[in-house]
Amino acid sequence: MKPETLTLPADLREPAIFEGVVTPGGIDDQVLVYPETKPPLKWFVAITFTILLMLMGFGFIGYTVMKGIGAWGNNNPVFWAFDIINFVFWVGIGHAGTLISAILFIFRKKWRNAIARFAEAMTIFAVMCAGIFPLIHVGRPWLAFWLFPYPNQRALWSNFKSPLLWDVFAVSTYFSVSAMFWFLGLVPDIASMRDREKNKWKKLAYTILSLGWRGAARHWQHYEKAYLLLAGLATGLVLSVHSVVSFDFATSQVPGWHMTIFPPYFVAGAIFAGFSMVVIVMIVVRETMNLQNLVTVRHLEVMNKVILGMSCLMGYAYCMEGFTAWYSQNNYLIHTFKNIIGGYYGWAGWTTITCNILIPQLLWFRKCRTSYFWMILVATAVTIGMWFERFVIIVISLHQDYLPSSWEIYKPTIVDFGILLGSFGLFFTLVLLFARTLPVVATTEVKAILPGAQPHHGAHHE
Amino acid sequence: MTHTTSSQPAALLGALVLGALGVGAAYAFVPAERFWANWILWLLFLVTLSLGALFIVALEHLVSARWSVPVRRVPERIATLLLVAVPTALVGLMALPVLYPGTRPEALQNKLLAGKATWLGVPFFSARVVIGLALGLLGLWILVKGSLRQDETQDPAQNRRARTFAPVFMAIFGFTITQTGWDWVKGLTPEWFSDIFGVYVFAGAFLAALAATVLTVLSLRDEGRLEGVKCDHLYNLGGFLFGFTVFWSYIGFAQYMLMWYANMPEEVYWYRWRVEGGWGAVTLLLALVHFVIPFFALVTRDAKQDPARLRWVAKLMLAAHVLDLYWMVFPSVPSLRHGPVFSWPELSFLLCFGSLVLLWVRRAQGVGRDMPVGDAFLKEGLEFRL
Amino acid sequence: MSDRAYAVLGLFDTPDALMAAIPKVRDRALGKVEAYTPYPIHGIEKALGLRESPLGGMVMVMGVLGAATAMFFQYWMSAVDYPIVHGGKVPFSWQAFVPIMFEVTVLFATFTAGLGMLLLLNKLPFFGHPVLNAKAITGITRDRFALAIEAPEGTLDIAAAFQALEAAGAVDLEVLPATETSPQFTSRGVMGFLTAVVGACGVAAFLTYWAIKLFHVLPPMADMQKQPRLNAQAASRFFKDGTGMRTPVKGTVSRGHLGLGVATQDEAAGLPNPLPRTEATLLKGKQTYTNHCAVCHGASGNGTPTLTAAYGAKPANLLARQFKDYKDGQIYFVVAKGKNSMPAYGADLDEQQRWAVVHYVRALQRAQDAKDSDLK
Repeated sequence: MKPETLTLPADLREPAIFEGVVTPGGIDDQVLVYPETKPPLKWFVAITFTILLMLMGFGFIGYTVMKGIGAWGNNNPVFWAFDIINFVFWVGIGHAGTLISAILFIFRKKWRNAIARFAEAMTIFAVMCAGIFPLIHVGRPWLAFWLFPYPNQRALWSNFKSPLLWDVFAVSTYFSVSAMFWFLGLVPDIASMRDREKNKWKKLAYTILSLGWRGAARHWQHYEKAYLLLAGLATGLVLSVHSVVSFDFATSQVPGWHMTIFPPYFVAGAIFAGFSMVVIVMIVVRETMNLQNLVTVRHLEVMNKVILGMSCLMGYAYCMEGFTAWYSQNNYLIHTFKNIIGGYYGWAGWTTITCNILIPQLLWFRKCRTSYFWMILVATAVTIGMWFERFVIIVISLHQDYLPSSWEIYKPTIVDFGILLGSFGLFFTLVLLFARTLPVVATTEVKAILPGAQPHHGAHHE
Repeated sequence: MTHTTSSQPAALLGALVLGALGVGAAYAFVPAERFWANWILWLLFLVTLSLGALFIVALEHLVSARWSVPVRRVPERIATLLLVAVPTALVGLMALPVLYPGTRPEALQNKLLAGKATWLGVPFFSARVVIGLALGLLGLWILVKGSLRQDETQDPAQNRRARTFAPVFMAIFGFTITQTGWDWVKGLTPEWFSDIFGVYVFAGAFLAALAATVLTVLSLRDEGRLEGVKCDHLYNLGGFLFGFTVFWSYIGFAQYMLMWYANMPEEVYWYRWRVEGGWGAVTLLLALVHFVIPFFALVTRDAKQDPARLRWVAKLMLAAHVLDLYWMVFPSVPSLRHGPVFSWPELSFLLCFGSLVLLWVRRAQGVGRDMPVGDAFLKEGLEFRL
Repeated sequence: MSDRAYAVLGLFDTPDALMAAIPKVRDRALGKVEAYTPYPIHGIEKALGLRESPLGGMVMVMGVLGAATAMFFQYWMSAVDYPIVHGGKVPFSWQAFVPIMFEVTVLFATFTAGLGMLLLLNKLPFFGHPVLNAKAITGITRDRFALAIEAPEGTLDIAAAFQALEAAGAVDLEVLPATETSPQFTSRGVMGFLTAVVGACGVAAFLTYWAIKLFHVLPPMADMQKQPRLNAQAASRFFKDGTGMRTPVKGTVSRGHLGLGVATQDEAAGLPNPLPRTEATLLKGKQTYTNHCAVCHGASGNGTPTLTAAYGAKPANLLARQFKDYKDGQIYFVVAKGKNSMPAYGADLDEQQRWAVVHYVRALQRAQDAKDSDLK
């Protein structure tokens, strides 16, 4: 009964990472054609639309800066609303890219190589969108530099005990690390583009950006070590950044905010929302750029399984929150939770539960995991549901907390909506720009895992 | 569990007998609170270790992991500890009126407990314990018994069954491990609550089970019994040990920091008991042995696959898990709150249950084949390279 | 382009071919052997005899440094330089400092890994390497694998190198000429620039901090605080004797206390009462009398106040014949200088008050044997 004699039944075998015959040169030709050629009309139409959306958003931001936060619906006690909801939403979306890029690398999941590049790009763009909100939601954004500890004539230092300052450090670190990780991954790919490019100016640009990379084995050695270390460090960030964001709420005493489960709950939610956004972008990229052989149904299926898993974790967290509210026998906490499923904003609570827990259960079915229609339906529902989850946490807890005389209903204004839509415009503008200027697939990484890419005697030790 | 010598089982048996006598003496002579606190501590150790091991097995099926198939039999065997955990837990139900304020009639007078007195009361408490453990046994049957059966039948249906059952088990595990933490640990202080507690207990359980797995794998390897398990496999195990040390520390710190920060009188006292006086030293020790030392010991790549390093770190982690449970349980008991106690009762329990676990796990190494030879994925697992 | 050969390069089509060739070429010991590949090849470091990368250790050290730096600076800023209690938390709240400490650790470690790898270990950017101009480079970054025998000092035996590579299975061999001009934009330049920027920031921060600290103690900024003015009950450098408090010039009188001008009560008899006998004067006199005199002389002036029993001394009965015969000035003198047991009230009451009291006392005296006609 030797293990070698056992054959794997077909249904248990895993599908190949790539479909069809893929060669290293073929990957270059397939992927690099996009940065090298002029985009088609539909790209210009799309980016015009996203740029207009983005400009509208900037317009509303400008209006806010001139008029003040009164242009928004924020009131007393709901002093945080769309601003922080959008901030947490975008930071959350960024986490998927880092997970795919870093954590899956640590787990040696080779299938991640084809999607890591644009997932990581999405992280950077999402963090950029996120960073706008803390900046504009302070009453005097032109004084935002006061957040940083620099020697000043007031002899003051920043308040390091505040979670808001932890956010500043966490999100800036996250942005820097993601950008560094992303750029390092790009260097060998840009070197490929440099060597293919005929146009003098583009070649110069690629030469500079690729830093003179020449593929030397000595360089690869240090490069791989750096990549592994960065992946490990970025993994730590995935956990810590959204936990620090959750501390904004959990360190307070607001009922419904001061729940110890917030750190892992927010991280799970971030991965959940982020993966959904990645699935949506992945489908668009796959279809419009004919990358079906590199970004396969297997990739999509695994992503959907992760989404399903995260949905179950979110379900656990919701159950724990609800149960804890009852168990606490704390009237304020119980009231807050009753407001989530009833009350003025009860519809938001039910939207959240439906979109985050109920609809993703469709992904138990293989058909839904592999069909564009169902995948996009679920991913869109999750995106909406996760936005509403932050709405529920922030607005419902704030609008009716301890003192009934302070209770007040919150109503967003058109400026709030305009800025939210504008942020989507910014995000997709950056994605579209990225898709036509840089390789959306990490060609070097994919080449390294093709069958026959590595020498046959693998170095192993007993 | 480093080398097999014929004297070792005898020594363990001797320790078990001595410990059991001590436990009996403790029952007779030591105040009930202290006796039962010790019992709860070790029942938690058994439950968390066995459920954690079962979780490892289910996780492997859930994600269709290949590299771990050669070592999967080890956590499957460790999971059989559940058969010891169940009677221990049932006996532990006798501790309810002694240690659990929610089960006493005075709870109805307490404003904070009256509303949930039914939930906290003996019938519901016991029902939850029984259901949780029963579901755990179900998991044991399907995952472990099924895997052992597959050794003979080589039927791939077991793989399908395990893969389908894995997500169900995750739901079961979510319930049982949360219930274990909330009822057995938090029930000692029913006015206090923390919704991350289930995750905290999970982290400790998973880590302890990983450590036990690593120790057993190394031990079997030393005996030449796990041929084909290479340093690549050890690296992955070491990586998990490292990663989840960080995860446990993150959860533990998050819970502490949030309660410290908000400083709400209705919840911060749980930590004040553990941070002031003698218990403060235990907290520092816990941070040291559960986080600092394992973190720095396993941070480098080489360390993660070095058998000698893995061995002592895994042993330290198991000890740290016991310390963690001690830290969770004892300060919540009013008569034990003033400072950490460690005397002959604690030592007896340690000898008794410690050797029981060691003996049982040792014996379990004879159950089934050393690798799941009936599993068609074994070949791929043995070929695994980093 | 110079005639000097930097290296000889040979291309291979598969990684196996490359790996097989490496030991053969290394054995010939013709120069430094380097491989150029489109992606990292497993096991090639060992085959080429490369030392392990020190990056891990560097990152660990910098990570720990990051943690220590973050904790120290937060401690110093919050508990030493400007100790402050926020939200009831003690100045050094290490629990609150952990998140930032963690993030800064990751930041330091990341930049060490990324920049250390690029600038320090790989010495990139570097645009002057001969292979970048080779024909083979397009294949290297695409799908072919190259092995080069390099001799930077220019002592390469080209023929032998060609032969060695061909024997090992290489195709498409070429000679890489050494580059003449040294490139401008190199890793050293970048490192120098970054060091300069970081150093400048550090120096600027340090100087700014100290400048601000010293700012308000240096002239002329300190002039606002260090004014040569006289502060009450404080020393002063302005006067020779060092005190800010000065004694008045000899002959200074305070307002309302010009001096009686007479030495004895008899002399005072000649002093006229300068105040008119108006209601306002009498009211003032009443107020002053009530506050200062009634305690001993009684509310009606008869010398039987509530105090006498405990007091011992016998105040004068102002309604007596003797005092009715007093001139205004004599009453005034007694008020100012005192008489027998009565202390002097000259310091307490100014001239106006004393004369007003005199009027009031006269009114009290008159009230003793008032006629109906007085009430008009």
